[in-house]
Amino acid sequence: MKYQIVIAGIGGQGAVFLVKVLSIASALANQKCLGTENHGMSQRGGSVSCYVKIGDFYAPAIDEGQADLLIALEGAEALRNIQYLKKNEGTIVVNADKKFPKLDYPSFCIDAFSKAKKKEFPIDALNVYMLGATLALDPHFPFTCKEIEEAITQMNAKVAQKNIAVLHQGINDAKANA
Amino acid sequence: MKQILMGNDAIALGMIHAGVDMVSGYPGTPSSEILGNFQKYSRTFTCNTYAQWATNEKVGFEVAYAGAISGKRTCATMKQVGLNVASDALMSASYIGLKGAMLLISCDDPGFYSSQTEQDSRSFAKFARIPVLDPSTPQEAYDMVKLGVEISHQFESIVMLRPVMRVSHAREICEVDEALHVKPLKGDFERNIPRWAAVPPAGRFRQGLEQFERLDVIKAWNWEHLIEPKTKAFKGEKVLCLTSGTGDGYVREAISELGLKADVLKFDMPYPLPKEKVEALFEHYEKVIVFEEPMPCIEEQLSSPKLYGKLTGHLHKIDEFSKDKVLNALANVGVIEPLNTYKNAKYTEELPKRPPNMCPGCPHRDVHYAITKVFKKKKSIYTSDIGCYTLGLNQGAIDTILCMGASVSMASGFSISDPDKAVVSTIGDSTFMHSGVAPLINAIYQNHKFVLVILDNSTTAMTGRQTTPERTNPHQIDIKRIVEGCGVECHEYIYEPDLNKTVDFIKSLQECYKTATAPVVAVVREFCVLDKERVEGHLGNAFVEVDQDKCVACDSCITTYKCPPMHYNEAGKIEIDPFLCAGCSACLDVVCPTDAFVEVKEK
Repeated sequence: MKYQIVIAGIGGQGAVFLVKVLSIASALANQKCLGTENHGMSQRGGSVSCYVKIGDFYAPAIDEGQADLLIALEGAEALRNIQYLKKNEGTIVVNADKKFPKLDYPSFCIDAFSKAKKKEFPIDALNVYMLGATLALDPHFPFTCKEIEEAITQMNAKVAQKNIAVLHQGINDAKANA
Repeated sequence: MKQILMGNDAIALGMIHAGVDMVSGYPGTPSSEILGNFQKYSRTFTCNTYAQWATNEKVGFEVAYAGAISGKRTCATMKQVGLNVASDALMSASYIGLKGAMLLISCDDPGFYSSQTEQDSRSFAKFARIPVLDPSTPQEAYDMVKLGVEISHQFESIVMLRPVMRVSHAREICEVDEALHVKPLKGDFERNIPRWAAVPPAGRFRQGLEQFERLDVIKAWNWEHLIEPKTKAFKGEKVLCLTSGTGDGYVREAISELGLKADVLKFDMPYPLPKEKVEALFEHYEKVIVFEEPMPCIEEQLSSPKLYGKLTGHLHKIDEFSKDKVLNALANVGVIEPLNTYKNAKYTEELPKRPPNMCPGCPHRDVHYAITKVFKKKKSIYTSDIGCYTLGLNQGAIDTILCMGASVSMASGFSISDPDKAVVSTIGDSTFMHSGVAPLINAIYQNHKFVLVILDNSTTAMTGRQTTPERTNPHQIDIKRIVEGCGVECHEYIYEPDLNKTVDFIKSLQECYKTATAPVVAVVREFCVLDKERVEGHLGNAFVEVDQDKCVACDSCITTYKCPPMHYNEAGKIEIDPFLCAGCSACLDVVCPTDAFVEVKEK
């Protein structure tokens, strides 16, 4: 199995957290995993793009036209990274409202900001919420809900319960939306 | 056992497993996590180790080097530009050698992600004549730490490990040792004056000859252990790809994904290379292409009419590697037709630019703002330095950035070369300790007239909030007393999120500057908003919104203050993003010329 995921967002939104969760999930699913993330200068509210490559890979970065999935924690950051998607078939799961443009890729928009504004979930769990949406919407996503839950627990057992609740909220909202 | 590790984590664990028990260095992306992770593993494995941040890379190198001379296994960590600072020590240490072992870890940053240069530490190893190992993944980084420590001891030479950002910040499931097998060595300095205190010319001449002998032995070892075994996998293709580090991953993926025919030879130790033996391999090939980053270190050691690389103009000369660049190179050399496999259309409409910015609530922003407000742009030069406050660039508050400590020495230079302008210099506390003190002494003894503002948030914020000398030991190390000890007054301002007060303080410095005959020095006691210990009570007290009727969309807040929550809404007025606002309330006064910023009433 080979599956390449780009995670895009703004520094501080927790893209790196998702890289960690997905790499733990790979280990749980007995898959090889190689990824890369942004630190330092890239962290300070700037654009962030992280890569997770599941399966047999040798280079940590993802090239243009290669990603199966783009998880974007913000709309403009999704658009900034669409060139990494496989032509016409790479899937986009993005936190954006209805104004997100029509693209030649299967795209799923979740308006997570407006839900957070209504206090439906805490904004600092946006990353986990969008991971939930991905679980519900990407039919080829290589992990089960159980594996993701276990990975979230391994990351930080103390806040796991809260995070898993947000994960399921993301799953349910996405299903209701779709 | 298997463990999910980031590259810098794998390196730290490798050090523990290799019996390293003395580590010194200075933070710098992408190397910063190594030392902290080593401290973490020291606790996990209950190892009694020394692992501390030095004031700069040269100090860190020298501390570790003395440990290695005493027979211990040691390590110095830094980023590639930090190696420039440590290079004075490295160049001599490489002549002298060592007794225990020393791994010099210098992390490179192809693509300038967080660095001012794209220099290649492997080329520095070549310059200093020490062997260098170049890992391509976290797993290899772990393995090469252990190998590097071992051969450092064997050859009595410093060994460099050169991970690039895509290794240091890569994450991989790695196979690592479960238990500790190697015990740290005891330090026991043996007096050997002709060796440890060799003086020129005779002493160093002798050591220079020994250095060449040592290199010959290492070249032979490189061939026997690292290069020749890999040639067994050759399939007799017409093209040979020579790779090193991350270049190898891109080449292997491109070749396997496109089913291209080529043999690949990866150099784990790209310097020193056994030139003749490697060149003899070329006989069976039509073309030999070197894939390495960021500079042509391997290519410079070899020569053949069949050899293609950066020097021959067939590969990119700048920026990080990618599979698309591999295909370009193969096409340039004439091995394949040009291919668009790794090209795809970008989004064509304009997207909001998101350069890195100072955090909401960061005190640096207020100080930069106040400086440009008081010292008018037309009549001032703003020199600055390396750290979060470099992002004052976004506010138009910085004219020059060079390297660590240069804000102070360049202020001296400008005060001489353009005396009609006021020079205002900003430097952080960690950078001041690193290399700001020496230029301040220089400025004071020569009576250079400028303003120096030391932004003291008591942490090395940009690289992940590593501790600083005055944070760990505030009773002995204090910036104000250091400045006073250099012979000038140190004005002090305890930062408040009240721009009137911050502007007034900078005005008081301007008054001093008018009659000054030496540097006017000030320290602003700040905090980092990400520093949980210090930030408490400073943020979240009063949130701000914009009175839409008063906002005239004049741009002044988003150009001179530039706090991330401030942005234009659909009505063309400024709005503050409540998710991003830190509630420092500093922008309530001064920033808006029409007083449109008002406090959010309790809901």
